[in-house]
Amino acid sequence: MKARPFQFIDVPRRMPRELPAKVRVLGWQEIHAGFDADGAAEQGARCLDCGNPYCEWKCPVHNPIPDWLALVREGRLFEAAELAHSTNPLPEVCGRVCPQDRLCEGDCTLHTGFEAVTIGSIEKYIVDEAFRQGWRPDLSAVRASGRRVAIIGAGPAGLACADRLARAGIEAHVFDRHAQIGGLLSYGIPAFKLEKSVMDVRRQVLEGMGVRFHLGVDVDAALGAELLRDHDALFLGTGATTPVDAGLPGQELPGVLSALPFLVANARRQRGEKHEDDVAFALAGRRVLVLGGGDTAMDCVRSAVRLGAAQVTCAYRRGEADMPGSAREVKYARAEGVQFLFHRQPVAIEGNGAVTGVRLAGTRAGSGRAGSLELVPGSEETIAADVVIQSFGFRASPAPWWQGIGIELDPRGHVATRGPAGATSHPKVFAGGDNVRGADLVVTAVFDGREAGTAIARQLLQMGSENISV
Amino acid sequence: KILSKMGISTIASYRGAQLFEIVGLADEVVSLCFPGVPSRIQGAGFAELEAGARELAALAASPMAELAPGGRHKLVVGGESHMFNPDVINSLQQAVRSGDTADYRRYADHVDGRAPAALRDLLRLREADAPLPLDAVEPAEAILARFDSAGMSLGALSPEAHEALAIAMNRLGGRSNSGEGGEDPARHGTEKRSKIKQVASGRFGVTPEYLVNAEVLQIKIAQGAKPGEGGQLPGHKVNATIAALRHARPGIGLISPPPHHDIYSIEDLAQLIFDLKEVNPSALVSVKLVSHAGIGTIAAGVAKAYADLITVSGHDGGTGASPLSSIHHAGTPWELGLAEVQQTLRLNHLRGRVRLQVDGGLKTGRDVVKAAILGAESFGFGTTPMVALGCRYLRICHLNNCATGVATQDPRLRANHFIGLPEMAMNFFRFVADDVRQWLARLGVAKLEDLIGRTDLLERLPGDTPQQRRIDLAPVLQAATGEGDAARHNQQPRNPPRDTGELAARMLEETQAALQAGAGGAFAFSVRNRDRSLGARLSGEIARLHGNQGMADAPLELKLSGHAGQSLGAWNAGGLHIELTGDANDYVGKGMAGGRIVLRPPPDARYVARDAPIMGNTCLYGATGGELYAAGRAGERFAVRNSGALAVVEGVGDHGCEYMTGGVVAVLGRTGLNFGAGFTGGLAYVLDLDRDFVDRYNHELVDVHRITPEGMEHHRHHLRCLLRDHAGHSGSAWASRLLEDFRDVAGKFWLVKPKAASLEQLADDLRRAA
Repeated sequence: MKARPFQFIDVPRRMPRELPAKVRVLGWQEIHAGFDADGAAEQGARCLDCGNPYCEWKCPVHNPIPDWLALVREGRLFEAAELAHSTNPLPEVCGRVCPQDRLCEGDCTLHTGFEAVTIGSIEKYIVDEAFRQGWRPDLSAVRASGRRVAIIGAGPAGLACADRLARAGIEAHVFDRHAQIGGLLSYGIPAFKLEKSVMDVRRQVLEGMGVRFHLGVDVDAALGAELLRDHDALFLGTGATTPVDAGLPGQELPGVLSALPFLVANARRQRGEKHEDDVAFALAGRRVLVLGGGDTAMDCVRSAVRLGAAQVTCAYRRGEADMPGSAREVKYARAEGVQFLFHRQPVAIEGNGAVTGVRLAGTRAGSGRAGSLELVPGSEETIAADVVIQSFGFRASPAPWWQGIGIELDPRGHVATRGPAGATSHPKVFAGGDNVRGADLVVTAVFDGREAGTAIARQLLQMGSENISV
Repeated sequence: KILSKMGISTIASYRGAQLFEIVGLADEVVSLCFPGVPSRIQGAGFAELEAGARELAALAASPMAELAPGGRHKLVVGGESHMFNPDVINSLQQAVRSGDTADYRRYADHVDGRAPAALRDLLRLREADAPLPLDAVEPAEAILARFDSAGMSLGALSPEAHEALAIAMNRLGGRSNSGEGGEDPARHGTEKRSKIKQVASGRFGVTPEYLVNAEVLQIKIAQGAKPGEGGQLPGHKVNATIAALRHARPGIGLISPPPHHDIYSIEDLAQLIFDLKEVNPSALVSVKLVSHAGIGTIAAGVAKAYADLITVSGHDGGTGASPLSSIHHAGTPWELGLAEVQQTLRLNHLRGRVRLQVDGGLKTGRDVVKAAILGAESFGFGTTPMVALGCRYLRICHLNNCATGVATQDPRLRANHFIGLPEMAMNFFRFVADDVRQWLARLGVAKLEDLIGRTDLLERLPGDTPQQRRIDLAPVLQAATGEGDAARHNQQPRNPPRDTGELAARMLEETQAALQAGAGGAFAFSVRNRDRSLGARLSGEIARLHGNQGMADAPLELKLSGHAGQSLGAWNAGGLHIELTGDANDYVGKGMAGGRIVLRPPPDARYVARDAPIMGNTCLYGATGGELYAAGRAGERFAVRNSGALAVVEGVGDHGCEYMTGGVVAVLGRTGLNFGAGFTGGLAYVLDLDRDFVDRYNHELVDVHRITPEGMEHHRHHLRCLLRDHAGHSGSAWASRLLEDFRDVAGKFWLVKPKAASLEQLADDLRRAA
């Protein structure tokens, strides 16, 4: 369709059809359908194509958003897919799970006063539809370099790194302990946000590009040393999966779960996989209380609803506006029947032999430095619960053998890197994603993986523009 | 297109002309490849050029390297860096909303900490060993009085944005600039008034009332962002209000001509300055020039032409809806132009007579301080206060769909999405003034004025790239230096012309009582060709007391005889009737808004009046109303940019009625070439006895029709009335003869009309006017 200067006023923001809450909680499918070509073009044409694309500036991988919106408007789908992949190796994933309301759409010029362009949904449309029509990244001009790189972790950082290496003609071998690729994309993020078929398609695409996956493999010290010996470089994209321990009295009681093991076990259950580490849980008909207010907590409450919990409550120690996650997720959770308790800090988990409730204290802004909290005296109350899920955040999970090969960690336990490309203290080893940053967004992990992949390729192929000899 | 802006139409003249200035090439390259072309600051030599070419070749050969994203016009991350990037915009808007100095600091750090993007970024300020305490520095008010907003027209901006900026400047004690789109008379005398009124080449809305409601009259010779081009307002931004203020038609785009048609030499400019000082003797006249090699000479001429202020405009200013070719390929840094002007004015002992202003991308106190050191004592801000008022630098100003309501006339966007308050712009200027004061303290200088010429306070930074490292700013600093005994800054509040306008003063004295009372009356004077701009002072007084048309019912009649000097009846107001028996020079009825001017030859003339020139060139330029009857021929460029005046003359030179948007012109004789170029409104009648007019008019925008007895009765009647009025007022023998033979000669006239207007529409207009 043609560009129309007033499209952004004449046509309101419209998301793809959203399943009604009552229906969607009965299953695990994504709650939004996809755009069709006309819908995507019409919404994409709302973009002002402004001289200062705030969306692109804000986006951690700097997607050229206005450009692919224009291509969608013009019906040039494959070119849009090509362009989307130029900055983001996993655009269909980011289109689904990025907190767009805090990133591109939140900074969209139209976000103030109008409503932002539906950037995420269009990104999802571009890649899903292009894949459906048979588009694949074109690597026909790539020549095999004979180099090989091992990647530990098939999460967003590792996959992004593998993508860049494959495009440079470098053999990428990705090792992961899970049975499927994706890491937390497959095992942490529930299917109603990211259907598992998405990662299945992505796996086919990456394998088509020459990436080799070694799944169900735990890389220990012996294997690590072998990988380092047999490959030209090693990338660590192992994420942050160690839960923050709040040390609450009673947290060892049966019925108290940690968020990530719960989500992983649930993901495997939905897939019909089994694993010896799976935690046991039964939520049907129970009262579930989730402690914490981030995106993972939202994943837990919304999963609990779908698992048939009688009542699902989320308790967070600050106010709604201070929640670290996406406001959109809170909205969806609320629509699905989740109750929220704000300004409540857990002080103890109660129960005798099994959990019966959580003792919560009211909080208010502290008198100390900005952002500190203090408890309101005499405000404690017990909220009854049969299952308590703790979601207080996650820490990087460095493997013990890393330090043995000379990889330095910073005081927080994150891999210490030099420069944005993720170089570590070991000349052959790069790292990126949550094991460098601590728990962060999928898109920042994608960025790290992409940068590291490019840097490794430069280093191996001696193709940095600085050191080209003509 | 850029070549053509310099008046070059063949590649051979480009090769020979050396009209351009080189910025950023070393002498070894210039002397071999571009001998004789001005180049002042060195830059890349052959080694750097070779390295750049090799790098590009290597990138092209590398399979890993993707095509560079570009981003020259619209920002693309990883491409060309932009000064107004989202961090700068967001932090500035945060600061002006909160009013918090810490927020301003964040903004200033984004700006001041950018990678070198302008010549000033290669200069560091040398702080004093013993800084002054902040209260030893002159107060913020003294600095704010030096701040102006740069000319942005109503039309380009929404009325809301334009007014908010005017209010902000007025409350701060600075001055806002109307731009070239006129000003709603309802704003005169209120805090929404723009103290600087611009007189640009389009002369849109330039009436005596507009001119007397100003403290400064700025002649925009050109603007830094698009030198060689006039302002351009696309048709969809011309709504009824804008059209009314500009005396134009809604929906039709308005393009100001590249040159002022009344300025072809420095003497012409001096005449325009004199015209403006006559119509509004209390105003200062400012001349806005574009930074380029040779600007110093021009500035010296401008100072000698009795301008009070000179603005040097650089290329990194806002660009709004400028054509892409100008944004990317035209203009030079103000640092070069400012230093050259400072040097030339001082060498010629002219600096003390004028106040020097700079504009172009000024964003923080540091920019202001550096500009002061290089010679400026006054500072113009364009884009940055717009950003303070909500502009997000979307670069869609030309589409009328500005989502922030700043650069649109769309009522929905203006009403619901413009969030700017004068306080936001005021916060910005106060922040900058405080920033300046802090720099002054750190530099150990108490007053901004004392910074001028203190190039010892600037220190060259090495620069980030090999090309930057080879730039030599010593000539710039040398030019701006403060040594020597000639004044370094302005010494006198105004620069009064040597011609005191004696006759004009006498006229005002004699007509004073009639003027005050609005009573009218007849007065006779004999004139000589040294008496210039006659009538302008009276028109200014009429407009001040009664408005543009307030005396139209009780006119003041001036019966003049002799040879009138230039600009007879300039800015003529309604209620001033000038009758000259004799002849006149150039610019008769320039900027006329009302009243009547009649020229007739002396009764004892021994020549045929219709064959002889009775007035010079560029008459009725920019007229918005009134009537002119001349029993004789006019010179070149007659009625250019006429938007409402009625004129009957007996012949015109080349380029008649160019860029006309309204009014009626009847030519009872031969026209020169290129008649009606850029003609988008109004109509003309041309008598074509030699049957060659079709070869002499410009076919682009107008078409011509015979005035047939059937179906053209209105025009026939109209033409006959014009002849009758002409004969009546000027006593033209030729008009009387044409009337006698009207049945025959009517068929020898052409009706000239814009292609966009239908004959029916014109006839309707005539009926309504009758």
